[in-house]
Amino acid sequence: MAAPTKGPRLGGGPAHERLMLANLAAALFTHKSIKTTETRAKRLRPVAERLITFAKRGDLHARRRVLATIGDKTVVHELFTEIAPLVELREGGYTRITKLGFRKGDNASMVQMELVLEPVNPKPKSAKKAAAAAATDAPEETPVEETVVAEDETVDAPVEETEAPAEDAPAEDAK
Amino acid sequence: MAVPKRKMSRASTRMRRAQWKATAPTLVKTVENGKTTYSLPHRAKVVEDSTGTPLYMEYKGRKVADV
Repeated sequence: MAAPTKGPRLGGGPAHERLMLANLAAALFTHKSIKTTETRAKRLRPVAERLITFAKRGDLHARRRVLATIGDKTVVHELFTEIAPLVELREGGYTRITKLGFRKGDNASMVQMELVLEPVNPKPKSAKKAAAAAATDAPEETPVEETVVAEDETVDAPVEETEAPAEDAPAEDAK
Repeated sequence: MAVPKRKMSRASTRMRRAQWKATAPTLVKTVENGKTTYSLPHRAKVVEDSTGTPLYMEYKGRKVADV
């Protein structure tokens, strides 16, 4: 659910803002990566991600709702057939905004906004959550042994991961 | 149209102007190949080749944009 935006509309009025965001979304789906101002990118993010959610649903009703925002059928077709399958397993967060610098002329903060189309690489669950999951699973089968083994694994795994970046960090400083 | 009634004194003009101060930006210090650079945090950096020609912009080891 998108939060209501604070402050004045982009452009000159509500209609101008709607058109601007629709055109930016169409450009984003066409080119996969666009350069725009930070303000516009932040306003565009909920709009674009909502359209992608419709695309993942993929039925005719969803397609018509997207077409109500983006009039161009070729862009909508590309969104439904090419972009939607790539973000099938991703649970939100379909766009990435990277700050670049400041525009010459009006000093506006520019960003590169892109679709996150890489395959999803889920983070390993934290030790507490994994232990809780193991505890709930364990009583069904063998209560004692299962929990002990599971806890050992879950405790060991995060410690190794936390050590590795800590070792890397001083090495980088030393350079 | 509203118009000032009195001439503004030299003292109050100068007091107003004295309040305009510069603030130091918060920078990140990075040492690379013995060269120290200061840059804004959370912002893509320009990658240059050995002759100093800008190639592309990089953020967290990823190419994000052309220059």
